[in-house]
Parts: sequence; C-alpha cells; structure tokens
Amino acid sequence: METIAVYWEPRIKTYGFQRITDLALIEFSSPLSEIKSLGKMLSQDDLIVLRPKFILSQVSKHEISFIFCLPLKESKDFHLSLEKTSSPIPYRYIHPVSIIYFHGPHFGDRYGIANATFSSLAAAGIKIIASGCSSASVFLVLAQHDIGKAEEVLSETFEVAK
Amino acid sequence: MEKLKIGGLKQSLELCQFDLKGVHSSEEIASKVSQLLLSQKINMEFLTYYPHRNSYHQLTFCISQDKFSTTSEILKKEGSLPIGWEINSRGQVGIITIFPHQSAIKILGVIMVSWAAQSLPIYGIATSLSAISFVTDYQLIDKAIEVIQNLFQLPEDHAPLKPEIRYYQSDTVKGD
Repeated sequence: METIAVYWEPRIKTYGFQRITDLALIEFSSPLSEIKSLGKMLSQDDLIVLRPKFILSQVSKHEISFIFCLPLKESKDFHLSLEKTSSPIPYRYIHPVSIIYFHGPHFGDRYGIANATFSSLAAAGIKIIASGCSSASVFLVLAQHDIGKAEEVLSETFEVAK
Repeated sequence: MEKLKIGGLKQSLELCQFDLKGVHSSEEIASKVSQLLLSQKINMEFLTYYPHRNSYHQLTFCISQDKFSTTSEILKKEGSLPIGWEINSRGQVGIITIFPHQSAIKILGVIMVSWAAQSLPIYGIATSLSAISFVTDYQLIDKAIEVIQNLFQLPEDHAPLKPEIRYYQSDTVKGD
C-alpha cells in the first residue's frame, strides 16, 4: 500500500475561499476528569438545533478546552446552556468574528500549505484568533474587520483554480 | 432507541502529536513552526492553533509517525521556539473522522461520554465543513472505532474505514 505522488506547483492551488461572517466565538474549559459531564451537557436535545460553523478542542495535562464558532443568535442559546449546568462552566465570548476557509488538491497529503497560510498572514500583520486544519481543509477565525484583507493576502499566495 | 445516522467514518494511518504551549510571544509561532516543518518537507495532517487564550497559547499538530524523531530534534534545537515554550509529544496517535449529517454538537457530546466510559482519550478535535476529527491513542483506535460503530448508524455502502493509499510527496520534480 504505497503511492508516491509527484506534486509541485509554483503557487499552491485552492478551490477558492469561502467566508462566514457575523459569528461569535465561545471559549470554555473543563478539567479532563469532568469530560463525561461536559459530553452529557453537549448531547442535550435542546442543543441539536445549533449549527456550529467551527469547533476546535485542545488538551493540556489536566484540562480540555473548546472553542465554538456560532451565529450570534445560536451563541446566546449556547451560553445559556453553559450557565444552566449544575456547576456552571466559565466561558469567554468574542464577537464579531468571521471564518475564512479553503481547501485544494491534495491538501492533507502534502507539505507547505500551513506555512503558506500562516506566513503570508503574519507578514501582512493579520492576527489569527484560532485555526484548525483537518480533513484537507484550512479554517481561520479572524476578527471581522480583517476578513477582507485576509482573503486578499491569501488570494495572492494561493492560486484559485478556475 | 434509534441510532443517530452519520454519513461516514474514516481513520488515519499512525501519526504522532506535538503540543507546543507558552505565554504570549511577539513571534508568530504558527508561522515559525510551519516554516521549520516545511524545511524538512514534513506535512501536518492535523493542526489546531489558539493564540487568543488569556493564560497561554497552544499549537497542536499531528504528522506521520516516521517523522517523530526529526521533528523532536528540530523543535528542541535552541532558538526554534520562543523562550519558555514547552513541548509535549505523543508518539502514537491516530485520527478518527466522522461525517455527521447534522447534529454535530450532539454527536460530539455522545462520543465524549462514550469514550470517557471506555477510558478512550481525546487529544484534540477540529471540525471542517462536513466532518469532525478526533485525535486519540493509535493503540486504542480499533476500540474507539468499535464504540462509534455501536453508537451510530452508518450507510450500508460505506467506504472502507482504513486508508487504502498512502501518498508521499516526492522530493524530485521531473520535467514533461
């Protein structure tokens, strides 16, 4: 089971950039020992209507932390759920944020994509609030006012397939 | 009770994971680390980056298991990371990706509860437009898949769970 892919492009190709605007980011953490209770809270039926646009979770020695990016109205419902738990989960709220996401040929299989993304944004002075790269996609959470400039910078870095 | 339907499930090959954690730095850590990996032609198959947290910033990434030693060495080299940043690593992890039809939060919660009951760890999560990816212990990945298969209803014509092709990006470029 081995395939060698020969792949090189002067500019990395993408299928284009998509934006999702007017979102709220909710950040919360829980001790790893409480992960089951947190899972129970998230599996409540009243949250089934929520459509998160992006979720990220990181784990450190004793803690699991999450960020959820939700449309503003849904984010209010979600933080009410966080407050209603038996031991309320402290959270942080950032609004407004936007997401820009993209994917391209062999994203996930080849090196250099993360670097092209992060280096070009850093060089343009654009601060990333959060990012997740999985399933051959790159998701970037940015301050709403940075989204236009970010798309401009990324469009210069990557080639949008026509 | 009727099982929740999911659109698909797949698992990765064996990977390793690095968690880099530190206080605020004026350096763009994601840019710097991705540059280091690019210099070794190493692909990041999974990444989460959250530099906006109050207390500390964290960059987590997964790469092919056979790049573990090379990556450890370049990260530990003096000057690779800002002063005070700590490196934690896991030698054997795998990614399970689920394609939910809907109800992503519920599916996430159900998996957290069920994996915790079976002592199956979660080392990271990230979503894309249509998928939720969980990083877990590679040695427990078959058990983790089994738990998911018992919880959710997969399509009958479901594709194989394990990858059938491994891609490598060649170091050489041949002309036409």
